[in-house]
Amino acid sequence: MNPWNVNRRDAMRLALSVSAAAGLGVVPRRAAAAGTINFADIGVGDPGGDWSKFKAASGYDVNLVSIGNAPSAVLNVLVASGGQGTYDVINIVGGMQKPLVDNDLVEKIDTARMPNWAKDTYVDEFLGKGKPGFQFIGYKDEIYGVPTVLQGDSFAYLPEKTGQLDSYAALFDPKWKGYVALEDNYTTAGQKTALYLKKAGLANIANPDDMTKEEFKAVTDFLIDQKKKGQFRVIWNSFEQAVNLITSKEVYVIDCWEPMVFVAKSKGMDVVYADPKEGYLLWAMAAYLVKNPNRTAEQTDAAYKLLDFMLGGWYGARITNLRGYMTNPQAATYAKDNPAEFPADEAKRVAEITANVRRKFEQGGTWQNRWPTEVEFYESEWSRFKAA
Amino acid sequence: MLALEHRQQIAEPPFSARGRGNWQAWGRRILLCLPLIFVGIFLVVPLGLTVMISFWERAGLKFRPAFSLASYVSLIGGARLDVLQRSLIVALEATALSLVLAYAIAYFLARKVEPATARIVLVLFTVPFLINYIVRNVSYTVLLGRTGVVNSALMAAGLTDAPLDWLLYSDFAVLLGLVSAYMPFMIFPLFLSIGAIDRQYVEASALLGASPFTTFRTITLPLSLPGVFAAALFGFVGCLGESAVPIILGGVGYELIGNTITSSMDVLNYPLAAALSSIVILLMLLLMLGWYLVFDMRSFLGRILEWRA
Repeated sequence: MNPWNVNRRDAMRLALSVSAAAGLGVVPRRAAAAGTINFADIGVGDPGGDWSKFKAASGYDVNLVSIGNAPSAVLNVLVASGGQGTYDVINIVGGMQKPLVDNDLVEKIDTARMPNWAKDTYVDEFLGKGKPGFQFIGYKDEIYGVPTVLQGDSFAYLPEKTGQLDSYAALFDPKWKGYVALEDNYTTAGQKTALYLKKAGLANIANPDDMTKEEFKAVTDFLIDQKKKGQFRVIWNSFEQAVNLITSKEVYVIDCWEPMVFVAKSKGMDVVYADPKEGYLLWAMAAYLVKNPNRTAEQTDAAYKLLDFMLGGWYGARITNLRGYMTNPQAATYAKDNPAEFPADEAKRVAEITANVRRKFEQGGTWQNRWPTEVEFYESEWSRFKAA
Repeated sequence: MLALEHRQQIAEPPFSARGRGNWQAWGRRILLCLPLIFVGIFLVVPLGLTVMISFWERAGLKFRPAFSLASYVSLIGGARLDVLQRSLIVALEATALSLVLAYAIAYFLARKVEPATARIVLVLFTVPFLINYIVRNVSYTVLLGRTGVVNSALMAAGLTDAPLDWLLYSDFAVLLGLVSAYMPFMIFPLFLSIGAIDRQYVEASALLGASPFTTFRTITLPLSLPGVFAAALFGFVGCLGESAVPIILGGVGYELIGNTITSSMDVLNYPLAAALSSIVILLMLLLMLGWYLVFDMRSFLGRILEWRA
């Protein structure tokens, strides 16, 4: 017998078993699903893979699958890739109710089924009916999303190069011409620009949260003018790219997310996330209950248990600690009261982050709108800006 | 004697050969059908659907079957037409540049180098395919940034006082990204095509007193044109559809057609995305048709296409 043959066969067997194992990890399995909740997430809601507390309380496992946060990615996962029959809960940046509900992809949330809902005072404070944040979880007076994460965005800068900055005007200041980066996103960069133009009295914008065509056209025209003057170095598309722009000092002022600043700081950079006088771009993540035709009543019950778990103290503290976002009002207390699970420095971090995000929400600004009334016009105008 | 017998056997097949020949013909047809079915299911049908959807109507967030030119109308006069135009120009530039480089490399490998060496170099040119395109593009940003290796070296050598901004997030960077992504693809058809030219033609030209340049211009280049066109097609198709290079290296919203298609799908405007895609596909098909009509592909693909003669 030729030893080479054996080797090759063994190698093939190994390759097959490896690829089979990889397949198991990637493909959400319905087969083992009697006790599994399929949870699609954008990379924020993963408590480091540790669902043991949920499993102990509910008997259910969680199968977490990463998806993209772009509206198309979310909708494509649910519609085109058969995700509606696969996932039970999707945890994404909220405000997607219009496309999700109108396409019959998610279910109304029965808040009475989650004991922690009533304890989440953030809902009443910031996200409840009649509050501007309602657009992140509600639609047509009904609740469709469970708020899992709250945050306010501004921009970052390198104080050694620019000194202290306290206004979005820095993004458009000729002093930093060619040293500014924006995010490639009309609902963040576009809306921050609108907030600045409104507060500076440079454009007539009634509501940066939901602009008319004329208003968004004014924003685009302003950005194109700035672009032509060479104000922007780059518009970024990914987390790593933005971090790299900061750490390599390619730009001095960058419209970005706060966790990027955390990462840059952890690499020894002197970088500040600005506290702009115009306020913040406020947003929340929402966990939606997918309208899954295959789901049994028991499974729906378990999905509600997961949603309730995500509103609880341990999960909140864990996510705040891992991702740097505010989660729920129980998080800081839980971390402080359970030193065995959260050492003092972690509990302190959770409290600090929570206090900081609360301050942003009290200061206000504009609520990011992921699906504005004129969303298609936004998209085509943003294309015009990029192509200019 | 043995050889003769052997030949006779072939020349006079046994009486049952007719039936066997039929079976062989059928077998060949069935085998040919497999790739055809594959191409049909995975290529023709999806492309047909794309073209069909481009005429559909939007109804709120969804769309419904119809024959509407709305998506095409919205293209005309909008920014997307500029994007298409720019994509064509950039793809042409990158293809032309790549062609010059790839031709020089392929010519050198086919004519000036030992076949064994040429094989090794060709294998090396497949290495870029093994590297993830995002990694490749991102490493350019590390090399070419203001504080990157190239600028630091230039400044340390006293060649420039300030970092050269045009190295990254510029037309230059996009061209560099496109050329390095698709030029290696183009070497292979050029190498095949140049290598297939009968050396006796070149020698005859030289013996008749033509200068090397004249020989190249009148013999080598015309005879390698099928390879040139194949390479150009590979490069052009790739560059026109590229979306990562402009995103990572383009800077301030360097938008090419691939990006604008993705972006229109972000707002669920599938008919518009389909219309943009259909236009691009149509362009490609026209180019393919041109290739098919103008060049005798046998000189490039060998006897595979003998049936066409």
